Amino acid sequence: MNTNKRETLAAYSFLAPALILLGTFLVIPALMAIYYAFTDYYLLTPDQRQFVGLQNFIEIFKDPIFIQSLKNIVLFVAFVIPIQVGAALGLALLINKPRKGNIFFKVAYFSPVVLSLVVISVLWLYLLNPSEGLINSLLANIGIEAQPFLSSPKQAMLTIVFVSAWQGAGYQMLIFLAGLQNIPSTVYEAGKIDGVNKWQNFFYITLPLLKPTSVLIMITTLISAFKLIIQPMVMTQGGPMNSTMTPVYYIYQSGFSDRMIGYSSAMTVIFGIIIGIVTLLQSRLTKEDDI
Amino acid sequence: MKKVMLLIILIMMAIVFTACGGENESSSASENEVSIWVHTSDETPEGEAMQSTIDRFNEENEGTYSAKIEFIPRSGAGGGYEDKINAALTTDTLPDVITLDGPNTAAYAEAGMIAPIGDYITNKDDLLPSIIQQGTYDDQLYAVGYSESGVGIFYNKQMLEDAGIDLSTLPTVDQPWDWNQFMELSETLVNTYDTAAIDMAFDDKSEWLMYAFSPFLWSQGGNLVSEDGSTAEGHFNDENSVKAFSFIQEMVKEGYTTITPVEKGFHTGEYPMKFGGSWTIAEMEDYPDVEYGVMPYPTSPDTNELVSPSGSWQYAMASSSEKQEAAGALIDFMTSTESLTEVTLANSVLPAAHSVVEEVQDKVSPQMNVLIQQNQKSAHARPVLPNYPQVSRVFQQAVSDAAYYEENSDVQELLDDKTGQMEKALK
Repeated sequence: MNTNKRETLAAYSFLAPALILLGTFLVIPALMAIYYAFTDYYLLTPDQRQFVGLQNFIEIFKDPIFIQSLKNIVLFVAFVIPIQVGAALGLALLINKPRKGNIFFKVAYFSPVVLSLVVISVLWLYLLNPSEGLINSLLANIGIEAQPFLSSPKQAMLTIVFVSAWQGAGYQMLIFLAGLQNIPSTVYEAGKIDGVNKWQNFFYITLPLLKPTSVLIMITTLISAFKLIIQPMVMTQGGPMNSTMTPVYYIYQSGFSDRMIGYSSAMTVIFGIIIGIVTLLQSRLTKEDDI
Repeated sequence: MKKVMLLIILIMMAIVFTACGGENESSSASENEVSIWVHTSDETPEGEAMQSTIDRFNEENEGTYSAKIEFIPRSGAGGGYEDKINAALTTDTLPDVITLDGPNTAAYAEAGMIAPIGDYITNKDDLLPSIIQQGTYDDQLYAVGYSESGVGIFYNKQMLEDAGIDLSTLPTVDQPWDWNQFMELSETLVNTYDTAAIDMAFDDKSEWLMYAFSPFLWSQGGNLVSEDGSTAEGHFNDENSVKAFSFIQEMVKEGYTTITPVEKGFHTGEYPMKFGGSWTIAEMEDYPDVEYGVMPYPTSPDTNELVSPSGSWQYAMASSSEKQEAAGALIDFMTSTESLTEVTLANSVLPAAHSVVEEVQDKVSPQMNVLIQQNQKSAHARPVLPNYPQVSRVFQQAVSDAAYYEENSDVQELLDDKTGQMEKALK
C-alpha cells in the first residue's frame, strides 16, 4: 500500500513538468479564450469586461471579412494539400534510390524548411516582383507576359499556395523517406518473383504500405495549412481585396490591432471547432479501410 | 541541527526585514521620482537625445523632482513596446509617463489610461496645430508629440530637366500645384521615360496608405467621418471622397504611378519622382549621384488648399500615476523648445513647435526645409478616434482597392461599400 502510494507520487512528480507546462501554456489559455469569447473584452479596459452572451458569435457570422477568410483558407487547403504532399512523395521517391549526390539533394530539398517563414516570404517577394523579379524575367524569355502574381486578386492566393508548398514539402519528404525505408525489402523481392512492373510495384506495394505515414502526413499538413498566417502577412497583408486574408490572420488583427480580444477569442473558438471537425472527419475517412 | 536551522531562518528573516526597510527608505526618498517608458532603444540618436534630456531634467530639478527612463525598443509597427504597455495595463503597473503613437491618443484617453495634461503644458501656443490636433480628444489635451513627420514629392532634378521641364516653374509651399497640374507633369514624364512617373509606395499596404493618401481627401474638403466621429455615412461616401479617390484611381489607371514599384526605384533613377519623408533624405545620402529636390503635395483643384500628412510619437501621463504634478512637469520639460530641438536635430525629423522651426531651419538641408515649411503650414493630423485601427484599415483598403480600376471602376459604389464597413467599426 505504502509503496503503491509512493510510486503513484513518483509517477505524478515525473509527469508534473509536462503537466504544468501544458496547463500554463495550453489548457489555461484555451479555457480563458473560451471565457473571453462570451465577453466584450477590450484590450485597453480589462476591468470593464462584461458578459455579452452569444453577441460576438452572431456578429462574426455577419462579418463579411471572416466569411471571406474562411473561403480563402478552404481554397488554400484544397490546393496546397495535394501539391505539397504530392511533391513531398515525389521527392522522397527520387531520393530513396541510392545514387550519387543523394545527400546534396536531400539537403537542398530540406533547406527551405530550416529557413524562417518570414525570410522565405521576403525572398519570394523579390522573385515575384512583376517588373524586376526573376520569375517574370524567365517567363518573358519563353514569351509569356509579366504576371501580377501577388497583386492580382485571382492569383495572389494561388501564388501563396505555391510558395507554401515549396517551403513545406521538404519536411514531409523526410517523413515519407522514413516511411519508404521502413518497407521491408522482402515484399519487393516477392513482387519481383511475381514479375510486377514499375507501376504495379508503386501502386500495389509502395503506396499501400506507406498508408500509415500518409495518414499522419495528411493530418499534420492539413492542420498546419489551416493555420496559414505568416506568408500573407508578409507578402500581401491579406490583400488584394482581402483575397489572401486568412482566419488566423484576421484573429490576430482583431485582437492585437483592433484590441477586440472578446471578438477575436470568439473567432478562435469557432475556428478551433472547425479544425476539430475537419480533423475528426479526416481520421474517420482514412481509418475506414485501414489494413 | 535544529539550532542551525533556527539560526538560518533568523538570518533569512533579518535579511528580508532589512531589505524591506531599505525599500521603504528608498521609495520615500523618491517620492517625486517619476518613471517614463519610451519605445526606442538607448542606442539610437533619438534615445540618446531623450536620455540627455532626462539628465538635464534631473540636474535642473534636483531636490524637487527626478525622472528615470526605461527604453523598451519596439519591433516593426510598434509590436514589443505596445505589448508591454498592454500587459502593464492589465497588471496595473504602468509608469507615470509613456510614449504613444499619434493614432492611439483617442483609444488610450477613452479607456481612461491617460490623463489630460493641458494644465501642465506651458507652451501650447508654440506647438504646431497638427500636434495639438493629434493629442486632443474630447476637447482636452492628452498627449504632446515631440517631433513631426511629413511627406513631400521628391524629384530627380536631372530626369525632370531632361524631360524638358524648367525646374524654376515647379510648385512651392506657397504656390502648390493642383492635381491636374501634377498629372500633366506625370504625363510628360511617362511619355519621356516610358515608366511610372512617381513611386507612391502603393505596395506598402499598411498605415502608410492612410497616412499618405488621406490628405487628398482633406484637401478636397472631405473627411472620413463626421465632426463628432459618430458616423461615416454621408462623409466617406460623399462627392468629395469620390473626387479624391477618383484622383488616386486615375494616377494608377493612366500609368502615372504603379502598384508594384521597384525597390529603391527613385534612388536608382528608375522613377523620376517619389513620395518621401525625412527618412528618404537620410536614405539618399547613400546615393550621392542623384540630385533631388522636394516639392509640396498636390492640392485639390476645387479648393487649392495644401494639406500634408503628419503624425508622430507623443508623451502622455498615465491616469494611474500618483505623482501627476511631477509627471506633468516632466512632460512640459520634455516638450520645451530646448528639449524638442535636441531630439529633432538628433533624429533628423521635423520640428513640432514654431520656435523649434526657427532653431533648426538654418542647420538642415534645403530639401528638409521644404518638408518643414510644408508641415508647419499644412500638416493635418489623422482622425482622433478610439476605433482608429479599424477606420484606418478600411481607408487603406479603399485606397488599395481603388487602384484596381478595372474591378472597381465605380468609385461611388466602392466607397458606399467601405462606408458600411467603417460604420460598423464606429459603433
